[in-house]
Amino acid sequence: MMLVMNGRYEDAGHEEYGHPERPDRAIAALQGVDQLHLESDLRIVNPYAATRAELVRVHEGAYLDELGAFCYAGGGDIDEDTYATYDSWTIAQYAAGSGLAVVRELHEKRDGVGFVVTRPPGHHALRDRAMGFCLLNNIAIAAAELTELGERVLIVDWDVHHGNGTQAIFWDDPNVLYVSTHQSPLFPGSGGAYEVGGSDAIGRTVNLPLPSGATGDVLRQAIDEIAAPTIDEFNPTWVLVSAGFDAHRDDPMADLALTSGDFALLAKTVAGYAPGPGRLAMFLEGGYDLEALRDSVAATLGAVLESPYRPEAPSYGGPGTEIVSNSQVERTAALRIAHEAALREEQQ
Amino acid sequence: MTESLRTIAVGFDGSHDAETAVRWSMKLASETNANVVVVNAVGMLGRFDNPTVAFKLEDSVRRLADEYGLDTTRVTLHVDDGDACSVMMRMAEEPINASMLVVGSRGQGKHPGLLLGSTSLELAEHTTIPLVIVPS
Ligand SMILES: [Zn+2]
Repeated sequence: MMLVMNGRYEDAGHEEYGHPERPDRAIAALQGVDQLHLESDLRIVNPYAATRAELVRVHEGAYLDELGAFCYAGGGDIDEDTYATYDSWTIAQYAAGSGLAVVRELHEKRDGVGFVVTRPPGHHALRDRAMGFCLLNNIAIAAAELTELGERVLIVDWDVHHGNGTQAIFWDDPNVLYVSTHQSPLFPGSGGAYEVGGSDAIGRTVNLPLPSGATGDVLRQAIDEIAAPTIDEFNPTWVLVSAGFDAHRDDPMADLALTSGDFALLAKTVAGYAPGPGRLAMFLEGGYDLEALRDSVAATLGAVLESPYRPEAPSYGGPGTEIVSNSQVERTAALRIAHEAALREEQQ
Repeated sequence: MTESLRTIAVGFDGSHDAETAVRWSMKLASETNANVVVVNAVGMLGRFDNPTVAFKLEDSVRRLADEYGLDTTRVTLHVDDGDACSVMMRMAEEPINASMLVVGSRGQGKHPGLLLGSTSLELAEHTTIPLVIVPS
């Protein structure tokens, strides 16, 4: 299978001394791709700066103006986690444009699997606010273009943090199914199993919180038992992945216990939800231990492309099976309440 | 005022500026019988940087509460995951149900006039309950 990636643009200007979201991350991810020796099975598409018309599908114009002005005034800390530099506005636009370019190439050719290696990451970025290292919500910007074309988009977010930005942007959109596995409690504090989508999209948000120390088997249980039936029913025409690798056991930002082998299994499962070739694209989000990031990228892509890469063994035996069962109960109750409220509104 | 002002939620990150806001809140509480929830947001870098910071905050909050004659039933420290703006907004909801938010004015941003970089201005735009910004 062909891997379609964005061409490299210079993102070294988006850096703050000592900050873990650093240019070496993108390099580590690319080293992961190199380990697969894809040669003629790798196609590179040109990145470009996403246009304002493409960005305002998910972001408020006033926010884009503020962000641009903030960067051009020299940048600085936006909040306790998130920084921007003079170059960040341009780099963020290129990150968004890279995602769009890869998705368009796949969409047109109906062939291959996409991998978008960009910084800064995107899934915490809200319609009108930067947070959690994220400036523009790259995956949401790509998903919004696909729904405009009439596609039904499944977004699987396996970053260790809940993708609050993506969830909020598509909260009321029935054409996007958002499924997130994440450690809880952890930043950003959202992503409870009871968060199931807005009144126009009841059930289109699936949150699978996992406790500190959870292993791959627990994560697979959560997906199989809670998410899979919803995904089958949704019947996606496109699959996008917020592929963060900070759930790896070596990552310094969180405490899940996944291995690169778990990412391989997960990728295989998620790829199975795509209706055919050219309908799956993965976007780099978090992942802050460079070796774990490199190996997890290789494992993920290796599994999907069926290349002979051998990752670490999958992990088993961590805590969380009970929490998964509780999530199922919480979700069912929340769905019932949401449907009843919708029915009442209809009758009024 | 005493009737509607049940719980004051005040942001606290241990900084001098935030302490000014906490003092203002505690003074108001002592005059009105309100409770004070001192709120500390643990950002994405929270665990990465300094996992012991919450213990130090606990001490500071205790010391300040004593100064204003507020006992442990009236003042609590609430540590929550998230960015400062989202965590403060959550205080308006269950289970805290604050009737007022208080923050220090620091972080008016490096670039005056821009919303970005200023928790107090972000909060002013998004809050659903009264917000007090205390100058340092
Ligand atoms: Zn993350």
